[in-house]
Amino acid sequence: MSELHTIQTNINGKPVEASVPGRLLLSDFIREELRLTGTHVGCEHGVCGACTILYDGLPSRSCLMLAVQADGHEIVTVEGLASNGELHPLQEAFKAKHGLQCGYCTPGFLMTLVPFLAEHPDPDEATVRDAISGNLCRCTGYQSIVDATLLAARQMREKAGAVDGSEATS
Amino acid sequence: MTVQERGAYRVIGQGIPRLDAADKVSGKAEYADDFHVPDTWYGAVVRAPVACGKLKSLSRDPAFDWSQVAVVTPEDIPGNNIVDMMGRDMPFIAHDEIQYLGEPLALVAAPSLHVAKQAAAHFKVDVEERPALLTLQEMVAVYKEDPAKLHKLSGQTIRKGDAASALKDADIVLEREYTAGHQEQLYIEPQGMVAIPERDGTMFIHGSMQCPYYINPELCETLDIPPEKLRVKQSAVGGAFGGKEEFPTLIAGYCALLALKTKRPIKMIYDRNQDILYSTKRHPSWSHYRVGVMKDGTIRAIECDFVLDGGAYTTLSPVVMYRGILHAAMGYRCENVSIDGHVYRTNTFPNGAFRGFGAPQALWAWESLIDELAAACGMTPDAFRLKNCLHEGDVTPTGGLLRDSVGSPEVLEKTLERCQFAEKWQQCSRGKSGERLWYGIGLSFFAHGSGFTGDGEARMKSKVALDLETRADGTPIVNVRVSSTEMGQGTGTILPQVAADALGIDVTHVDYPMPDTFKVPDSGPTVASRTAMVVGSTIYSAGQKMKADLESFVSETLFDGQPTELVENQFRAEYDNRSIPFVEGAAAYLASHGPFRVYDQFKLPDYVKWDQENFVGDAYPAYAWGCNVAEVEVDTLTCEFRVTKVTAFFDIGRILNPVLAMGQVQGGLIQALGYAMMEKLAIKAGKYDADRMQTYVIPTSVDGPEMDLHFVEYPWDHCQPGAKGVGEAPMDGLAPAIANALEAASGVRLRDLPLTPERLFEELSRSQRLTA
Repeated sequence: MSELHTIQTNINGKPVEASVPGRLLLSDFIREELRLTGTHVGCEHGVCGACTILYDGLPSRSCLMLAVQADGHEIVTVEGLASNGELHPLQEAFKAKHGLQCGYCTPGFLMTLVPFLAEHPDPDEATVRDAISGNLCRCTGYQSIVDATLLAARQMREKAGAVDGSEATS
Repeated sequence: MTVQERGAYRVIGQGIPRLDAADKVSGKAEYADDFHVPDTWYGAVVRAPVACGKLKSLSRDPAFDWSQVAVVTPEDIPGNNIVDMMGRDMPFIAHDEIQYLGEPLALVAAPSLHVAKQAAAHFKVDVEERPALLTLQEMVAVYKEDPAKLHKLSGQTIRKGDAASALKDADIVLEREYTAGHQEQLYIEPQGMVAIPERDGTMFIHGSMQCPYYINPELCETLDIPPEKLRVKQSAVGGAFGGKEEFPTLIAGYCALLALKTKRPIKMIYDRNQDILYSTKRHPSWSHYRVGVMKDGTIRAIECDFVLDGGAYTTLSPVVMYRGILHAAMGYRCENVSIDGHVYRTNTFPNGAFRGFGAPQALWAWESLIDELAAACGMTPDAFRLKNCLHEGDVTPTGGLLRDSVGSPEVLEKTLERCQFAEKWQQCSRGKSGERLWYGIGLSFFAHGSGFTGDGEARMKSKVALDLETRADGTPIVNVRVSSTEMGQGTGTILPQVAADALGIDVTHVDYPMPDTFKVPDSGPTVASRTAMVVGSTIYSAGQKMKADLESFVSETLFDGQPTELVENQFRAEYDNRSIPFVEGAAAYLASHGPFRVYDQFKLPDYVKWDQENFVGDAYPAYAWGCNVAEVEVDTLTCEFRVTKVTAFFDIGRILNPVLAMGQVQGGLIQALGYAMMEKLAIKAGKYDADRMQTYVIPTSVDGPEMDLHFVEYPWDHCQPGAKGVGEAPMDGLAPAIANALEAASGVRLRDLPLTPERLFEELSRSQRLTA
């Protein structure tokens, strides 16, 4: 067996310390060790995007990374998107607009789109399509995913606007 | 009986969100690889190193540490070493003849996947290699020389009128050949299964599948256990498209055999490379037509050879070919039809089910040829189709009468009008020299048989159950108990909608637990665009029975015998306006009687008659109808082309959930786009060359055209709610529409799928249309 490495990482807001073999994939660490099985593996070489997680806020393919690379970094998986029992607006929009069918690629799309929407609060359809062009979905034909993303963007803008507005008047 | 008007439904027809959406967006849905079963060992397959040959010996490398490895060879199989599908020619584990590269020679299991894979690589295989027949092209070459030299897996004919004589009378006879290549389903979740041997001798199979009642009984003979000791349960399925129809019996069998040997749970999850190399594909096809037409555009006679490359064993190929020949001359009037369908062996993994199931291959050729026939008569493609298309009251190539719910010609007329086909047809470039970009528009029109082919539904007699039970929180719930699976297409949402509507309650009171053969009757497999129509209508009638029983209970026990109706979640008494909520009445029923199950069974209308031997009669209970128009742009410098717009209308009968239905159409058309012009598998040294996602390229979010998609509703008259089928029709017609558009743009016709810039360049060069 290969030598174990101690890593200190933060997963979905919680500090995690673990001993991992040097060759253990980050996707396997997340799925097998942490049992966070919402991160899916579809191709094992970075093409399908189903295993996308946030690595210090950036969408990253966990099947192309090693667990030791999590040392000292923050990881967010699909299980970390909801807060206080409430789904993220993007998750709600995927539900409302049928932005999924089999659901296997869905966590990867969500983890790609959450940081995208933070940077592009008012994207057009072409920009959304470009943003998800590295994630494969075999069921939907992508239109409902695009529609869900545009809906989420609008709802997040409205919510932000309402908050800003209330602060301005208070 | 005539189905109700649309307005009569409350829940049916609503685009409610998927019932599984919350689990799927939050990562909670459990797919096969997500199960954590203590003490599980991992399985791997020892595979044949040649595509054709005779196995002389198989031995283990003595230098390897076998202490932590279990091995299963044919001698360990308790029952017969046979995969019992439509043919009984495929062994579970090869023991003598090898018919494809990678055929299983032994199974291994170990506490870790790493050790299992290493062990599988430490077998010494001694084989006597023989020449392999690998490709469709090789197979067709032999067929043209002498079909008797091929190993035939299946054959079937369709005969109507006298095609041979009628061809002699025709003004014009066109003879054409078309081919289509393999297509990989490429569901994003790879194949995966877990087998758990239980203490009472039950083998529990849990994993990614479309058809729990294929695995049971298919595995019983191999494992030598009675059906009641084989429990099969579906996990969440990450896409299937036919790829998880018959294949899961194999991986389930591998796991179960290893589980019997080790007495431990066994898990097998294919990696993508294994999945592409060693699972089913869409059958490659060769269609050869001789069609006679009159100058006025009347189709006089159709002769067709429809030949499928079956791969190594029979599996489901006969039915794929049946559906192919039933669609190979469908859609148009013709009195003289002669079709010969064949499936021959090649030395590749057995080809199998894939959305459309033979129809896309048949329609690719037929709808391309329709354009060629129109041109030969001097007619436009739209005028030729409008002249010949089937109407209500017409007969199909097998002599079946189109009695009712015929969306033709409306889908055709509406599509043509919507996209302004006639005007745009005049603007096509037709290979005009000196242009930088060529424009073309092309059309396809087709029917897709809903439900099993031929006598399938009559033999199946699909069974369903509805259970009124108590939820963990004490409230009543109606559980839909069917073997129809949710694999993304929406079964788990539409069937509760149908049940809720029939009962007169909200869908929040209905649930769809994952199918488990210990809990659900056999509703048949989830295939053939049959679930909404066959299982949906049977659920509807079961719901009506349950409603009547609950109404009578509430009437007698709570409403003094007054006639009582369950509508909009309320039991209402007819005379004194008393009412109680559904949950209250249902809870009273449960308290008094306990859980309540209603069974029902699908019955075909008596008028559906089918002669399975001669292929005469009603091949399908009903048809979905579709029309696709593709517009293309060709770069004359590079021969690259893209589809700029797709306009389509579909008649899928009653629409149960319009958003889900549209999702099927959008996703199906994008899969069809991949089939038409992106997805290509060649065979090199016996192996598929595109064996990873990096090399097997499917459409991404930036590859799709603008889409203008619509439905028309011609409900099936026989049953409520009158759905037909939506799953497969979107896969059927886009490839020929694109090829037809490419000809309108470039002036040359491509007759081989996939359509590629390289092929277009070759044809343009041959026809000297390239001026550069």
